[in-house]
Amino acid sequence: MTEKIVKNKEKIKRHGLSVLFVHCAVAISTFVLILTGLFGQFPMAGRYMINHLPGLSWLSDFSVTLSVHYWAAAVLILAITYHIVFHGIRRDFDMLPRKGDMKGSVKLIMATFGYGKEPENDKYLPEQRLAYVFIGFSLLILVFTGAVKVLDNLPDINFSRVFMFWISLLHNAGTIMVIIGIVIHLSAFIFKENWPLLPGIFTGKIDLEYAKRRHSIWYNREFVRKS
Amino acid sequence: MSDFSRREFLKRSAAAGVASGVALTGFGRNAVASDVAQVGTMIDLTRCDGCKGLDTPACVTACREENKDRFPDPVKDIPDNWPQKKKEDWSGKKDLTNRLTPYNWTFVQNVNVEHGGKRYDLSVPRRCMHCDNPPCANVCPLSANHKMPEGPVVIDSDICLGGAKCRSVCPWGIPARQAGVGLYMKIIPGIAGGGVMYKCDLCYSRVKSGQMPACVEACPRNAIVFGEKEKMRALAYKRAAETNGYIYGDKENGGTSTFYVSPVPFEKIHAELMKQKAAQSHPKTPGFPGMPVDVENFTDTANGIAWSMAIAPVAGIAAAAGAAYKTMKGEKKDD
Repeated sequence: MTEKIVKNKEKIKRHGLSVLFVHCAVAISTFVLILTGLFGQFPMAGRYMINHLPGLSWLSDFSVTLSVHYWAAAVLILAITYHIVFHGIRRDFDMLPRKGDMKGSVKLIMATFGYGKEPENDKYLPEQRLAYVFIGFSLLILVFTGAVKVLDNLPDINFSRVFMFWISLLHNAGTIMVIIGIVIHLSAFIFKENWPLLPGIFTGKIDLEYAKRRHSIWYNREFVRKS
Repeated sequence: MSDFSRREFLKRSAAAGVASGVALTGFGRNAVASDVAQVGTMIDLTRCDGCKGLDTPACVTACREENKDRFPDPVKDIPDNWPQKKKEDWSGKKDLTNRLTPYNWTFVQNVNVEHGGKRYDLSVPRRCMHCDNPPCANVCPLSANHKMPEGPVVIDSDICLGGAKCRSVCPWGIPARQAGVGLYMKIIPGIAGGGVMYKCDLCYSRVKSGQMPACVEACPRNAIVFGEKEKMRALAYKRAAETNGYIYGDKENGGTSTFYVSPVPFEKIHAELMKQKAAQSHPKTPGFPGMPVDVENFTDTANGIAWSMAIAPVAGIAAAAGAAYKTMKGEKKDD
């Protein structure tokens, strides 16, 4: 199995290199896309004088922001394709939402505030699975509508006015959805209980005792039964 | 993973590849090509004299009359574009006819240039060129600006927020902004948006109903000719050959629907226009375009990068298939 207990360090492997690569590539490219999208494709940098801030004058240069937007989109598409194909081949669907995840998330949040007992968790928390599908869906909207916009920018391709109106509207709505998703995703780390998960996204490993306690279903399935 | 085999791996790879392809590209495409013949204009500078003897050239007067009901009617107290303490308000200068404004969508520039040892007085009618691949329409984040199947590039004043990006990417800076009007006034006026952009739409409604644009109809010297775009292009080249002249608009910005024919090179006209602009009291004020020769299209660079987005999913599939195969083989051994 890819998940392994790292002996003598009391760490457990939660993510392989592929997951770390995809998370890193999606995070960085999405950040760049939001930056160049909001402040470049929407002409906000000049309007709100963000281009006057040190090192950000390039944000009001539409030719630069459009090119950077395109490159970042290519990285995002590569990472998403890699993610879908890699996990599809492996039939590794741990991140997909399950029945009862809404209820589980409420219980988990309540437990964070000291109300009730936290339910046993699998490799991912129910709220992580829900956030994954929300952000993933939003990113797919952006990739699809963005691809249409890229095609429309090419010479000799001119989609209809109504179609492009809806594509742009969806692209803008998808951007707002992604920003909301990222804010919710990151706000999970306001709570100390989630802090031990942080090293996992940089090193792939999390604390063994934390995994035993909080991700007991996953730990028992992958490490206890198979050992 | 004990049941994993090469055949199973290939099966799963194909399924995952198809799934990601569908997810990333969508299910279908809208029609991209139009059967409608595009229209265009040929503007013959050997014929245009700027309507000498008239206070305002006939084409300008006709345009203003035709579009007067579509001119902006802003609120009295127009908010500044926060956090800046400025806005673009032309409502006090509605009578200006010597530049492009939200109330004047075409005007005539006059230049005196030397060529071949002879001086030429030229009058140059100016307005939107209606480009083949208009960056103004492509980069509009709301798709408020669009190239219609018939060729004219049209701004929808109902959804334009007046960010003026269209003007920034137009090689001629054609669209003109009026503050205090439009959608942004119904959302958060002053905080977001800046008004509505206005420009020539080649009298789109007239063209749709089989009529000529008002400026063409009004021209007393037939200096502006309207018709099928390809015919106008051919006419421009024919006229240039007859007069030993020069053409502007066929190559510029990747191609346009407006073909100027001049007895002098457009580099000289552009240089003279830039001199005039520099001599204005506010040289940076938009609405007085030059004629830069062979100017490139704003989206050329980005379109050159577009290939990377086509390669990205292929690279992603190949890399993921390799990585998945490697990890699964490793797991099989582990098992």
